[in-house]
Amino acid sequence: MRQRLRAPFPRVVLTLAIVGFLSSTPAFSSGFQVMTHGARATGMGLAYAGIGGDPTAIFYNPAGIGWMTHFESYVGLNFLTRTDGGVVGANPYPGAGASTNLDNQWFFFPDGYAVIPLTNELNFGIGGFAQYGLGLRWENPETASTRFVSQNAVIRSLDVNPVFSYRLFPQLSVAVGADYRFSKVQLERNQGAVNPFTGAFVDVAHVKLNSELLSNGGWGWNAGIMFKPFEALSIGAAYRSSITIDYEGTANFIQRLTGNPVFDGIVAGQLPQGEHPVTTSIKFPSSINIGAGIQLPAGFLLGLEADWTEWSTFQELNIVFPDGAAPGLDRITIWQDSWAYRAGLEKSFGQFAIRVGYYYDNTPQPDVDVGPLLADSDRNVYTAGFGYNAERFGWDLGAALIKFKQRSILTAQTDNFFGTYTETGLVLTGGLRLAF
Amino acid sequence: MKITLRSIVSGAALALVFAAPAVAQDFDKYVALGDSLTAGVEGNCVVERNQRASYPAVLAQQLGIEDFQQPLVQELALSDPLVGNPCLGTVFIPPSTVTVGAISQMGAPLNLSLPRPYDNLGIAGARVRDLIDLIHGNPNGTTVEANAALVLRNVPGSPFDGTNAVTQANILQPDLVSLWIGNNDVLGAALAGVVVDGVTLTPVPAFTEKYDAVNAALGGAGRTLVGANIPDVTAIPFTTTIPGILINPATRQPVIIDGHTVPLLGEGNDAFPCTPVAPDQGCPLPAGTLVTLPASALLAQGIGVPTAAGGTGQPLPDGRFVPPVMLVSGVTLYPNEVAAIVARTNELNAVIAAEIAGAGGVLVDIHAIFEDISANGYHIGGLTLTRSFLTGGIFSADGFHPSSIGYTMIADEFIKAMNSSLGTDIPRPDFSHVLFTPNVPAGGAALTDGGIWGYGMSTWKSLLETAAPAWGLAIQYPEAGRATPQDGGRGTRTVTRGDGD
Repeated sequence: MRQRLRAPFPRVVLTLAIVGFLSSTPAFSSGFQVMTHGARATGMGLAYAGIGGDPTAIFYNPAGIGWMTHFESYVGLNFLTRTDGGVVGANPYPGAGASTNLDNQWFFFPDGYAVIPLTNELNFGIGGFAQYGLGLRWENPETASTRFVSQNAVIRSLDVNPVFSYRLFPQLSVAVGADYRFSKVQLERNQGAVNPFTGAFVDVAHVKLNSELLSNGGWGWNAGIMFKPFEALSIGAAYRSSITIDYEGTANFIQRLTGNPVFDGIVAGQLPQGEHPVTTSIKFPSSINIGAGIQLPAGFLLGLEADWTEWSTFQELNIVFPDGAAPGLDRITIWQDSWAYRAGLEKSFGQFAIRVGYYYDNTPQPDVDVGPLLADSDRNVYTAGFGYNAERFGWDLGAALIKFKQRSILTAQTDNFFGTYTETGLVLTGGLRLAF
Repeated sequence: MKITLRSIVSGAALALVFAAPAVAQDFDKYVALGDSLTAGVEGNCVVERNQRASYPAVLAQQLGIEDFQQPLVQELALSDPLVGNPCLGTVFIPPSTVTVGAISQMGAPLNLSLPRPYDNLGIAGARVRDLIDLIHGNPNGTTVEANAALVLRNVPGSPFDGTNAVTQANILQPDLVSLWIGNNDVLGAALAGVVVDGVTLTPVPAFTEKYDAVNAALGGAGRTLVGANIPDVTAIPFTTTIPGILINPATRQPVIIDGHTVPLLGEGNDAFPCTPVAPDQGCPLPAGTLVTLPASALLAQGIGVPTAAGGTGQPLPDGRFVPPVMLVSGVTLYPNEVAAIVARTNELNAVIAAEIAGAGGVLVDIHAIFEDISANGYHIGGLTLTRSFLTGGIFSADGFHPSSIGYTMIADEFIKAMNSSLGTDIPRPDFSHVLFTPNVPAGGAALTDGGIWGYGMSTWKSLLETAAPAWGLAIQYPEAGRATPQDGGRGTRTVTRGDGD
C-alpha cells in the first residue's frame, strides 16, 4: 500500500482534461449540465450514485471510492454531437415556417480520475471533468433569424475535484471534497438598428463577449455517502454545492456595413471601438443524487437513481459593461429546480459486461426563457454500453441517444421569439482504467 | 305548440352557435372607423404604400378577409412645385445634414369607383364628432372635409352624399367593427403648442355625447366592437425628442456652463410668468416643459438659446389662442399645459372605457401599451423598438404617426386583446417582413431648415395643415428671425392652406 502511495501521479490526466475543455459541449443533461463522465455509468443510464467502485465515482458519488484498495486511474474520452436540431418559427417573429438549424458540431472532452488509498479506511481521489457546458451555434449566423438574440452561446467549465473518502464501518463510506471550477462564457450576436433612411432594421454590428477559461473560477464542495447493508445492495447519495463564478471578460464590437455611407458613418460614430471590459455572474446549481445498486441473480446489476438539481439558483443573467460602452443586459431566466430519473442494467459475462439504460430528464427552463440563446426541453435518453474489466486493467464504451421533446413556444417569451424547437443528440464515450 | 325532440335539438344547436366563442373565420365582414391612425397615415401622408400597412389592413389579413377595400391613394415622385401633400421621410443633404424632408407626394385616388363604402373608413384629422356630423365632404374645404371627400365620398352627386362614417359602416353590415377615435380630440393641442379647452381640447361632455352617438348608431346584434383608447400625446417623439436644455449639435451632449446645464429660453405663460433678464429676452424653461420638434429650426438659428451660450437670447414661442379665430402656434408646452393634456386624455379614456364596456365590446388599451413601450421599449427577436425619433422604429418621420412597424404592433395588440377577451384564435401578424423591408420610395428632395433634430418649419406647417384637426381657425406660425416677445404678434405670420415656405 505504501509503495502505491509513491506511484507517480499521472499528470496526463489533468493535462488532457485542461486541453479538452478548449472544446465546448452541447447541454445534454438538464439545463446546461453534462453528466456523461464515465463510460460504464453512461451505459447504465447514469444511474451510478449507488454503484461506484471505480474512479469515476469521484464524479457520481465520491463515497463510492471508499472500498477501493489500489491506486487506480481512469482516462475517458467523450464525443458529443447534435445529430439534428433547430427551430421552425412562428408569428409574430421570426414568422410562421421560418426555419433555422443548429450547427451539428462535434464536441470532444476528456475526463480524468485517480484514486489513491491512503490507509485501509481512508482514500484520496482527484477528478477532472466538465459538469457544465453549453454549445449552441446557429447555422448561417449572418442571416439566421436568431442572430439578434444569439449566434453562438458557449459555456465551458473544468472542475478539479479532490476528495477524501472514509469507511466508518465496513458497510459505510462517507466522503467529502473540494471543487474548484474554471469556466468561460462566450456569447456572439449581431446588433440591429433602424436605418432612419429606410425605416427598416439592418445589421449594424457584431458583438462578441468572451472570457478566458483559466481566469474565472469559483469554489464549491461535494460530499457523499454509500451504504452496503449486504452484498447485493448498495445505496448512495451525493451532494454538490452551488458555485458562483463572477466572470470578467472582454467585449468587441465589429461594425457591419449597411451600404449606406451616411448611416454607416453615424453608426461608426456611436459604436464602441476596441475591447471593452464586460462582467457577468452565474450561480451554478447544487445537486443531490440518490441511487441504489442491486445485484440480481445471473450476473445482473440494476442501478436506480433520482437526481435533483437546484436550478432555481439560475434566476437571471446580467451582463454589465463597467465602462458604459454599451447598455447592459438584464435577462430574467427564472429557472426551476428539476428532477431526473435514471435506471440501468448491467449483465456480466466473466470479465465482459454489456449495459443498457434509460433516463428521463426534466427541463428546468420555463417556456418564457426558451429561445435562441438556450432552448432546453424534457428528454428521453437511451443508453447502451460494453466493457471489459480485469483486476488491474479495464476499458468501457458507452453511448447515449438523447431525444429532446419537441417544444413549442407560441405565447409569452422573453425575446418575443416564437417557434417549435427540436433536437437530437448522441454521446459516445470510452474509458480506460488502470490499477497498480 | 308541439314540441318535438327535433325542435329541441335544433334550438339547442342554434343556442350553441351564438354562445360559442368566436373564432377567426367567424368574422366575415370587418369595418374600421377612426382617424389618421386608422387610415394608415405615415410621415404625414396617406398613400397606397402606407395604407397597405395600416393596422386595419393587417388585422383584416390576419382575419383571413380578402376583400378589404381601402381608399387607396397613388404615391407620386416629387415634383416642383408639389402637386400633392408631401410624404415625409429622412433625407440627407450633403455634405453632412440629416433631416426630415419630402420624399414623395400624394397623387390621385386609386379606388374611387368602388360601388360600396370602403372597409377602412379612417378619416385623417377626424375627431369623434366628425364620425357623426360629417355628412358632406368637400375636396376644397377644411382638411377633415377634404379627407372625408376621399374616404366617405359623401360629396354632391355621389350616392354616398349625406352619409357619415357610421352610416357607411352600417351599410356594409359588418360583424366586426374597430373604433379608434379621440386622438385628435387632444392631439391638436400638442401639435400646435396651444392648450385651450373647447378649441384644441374637446370638452368631456361634448366628447361623451358624440361617442355615445357613435356607439348607439353602431349597435347591432351579432356585431363585435373593438375599441381603442388614446395614447399619451405628450410622450411621442414630437414632444419628447428635444430636451429643454441646450444640446451641443456636434456631440449631442448637454452643454455645461459653470457646472450646470443650460435651460432653453421661453416666453412663459400665465402659470409660469416670465420677466426676462437682459440681454436675454426670454426666461429659462421650467423643468417639465416640453419642446416640440418644430423648435429644431429655431434652435438652429440661436432662438431659444441664451446669449451667454452664444444664442440670440430670443425665446422659443409659446402658442396661444386669440379669439375669435386666431391660433398662434408655439413650440413649447409648459408643465401646466402638459398636465392639462394628460388630464383630458385620461378623462376621455375613461369615457371610452365606459362606452366600450357598455357596448359589450373589447377595449384595446393603447394608452397603457405605449406607456410601457416608453418605459421599456418593445422587444422582438432580439431587436428593440423605442419611441425615439427616426431611429426608434415605432414612429414615422412626422413624429406622431406610427411607422409601418408601429401599425403592425398595433394590429397585433388588437388581435391579442380580441383573443384574450373573446376566446378567438386569430393568428398574430408576421413581423419579419415589416421589420426588414425598406419603407420609403427611392429618391426625394429635402427641406433645409430642420436643424440638428431634423424637423423643419415647413414640415410642421405641412402636418398642421393636413393632419391636425380642422379647427376652422386661422393659424399663425413663428417665423425664424422675427420671434420676439415685444412685437405683439410674437414674430408670427399667417399661413393658410397651400401656403408654401
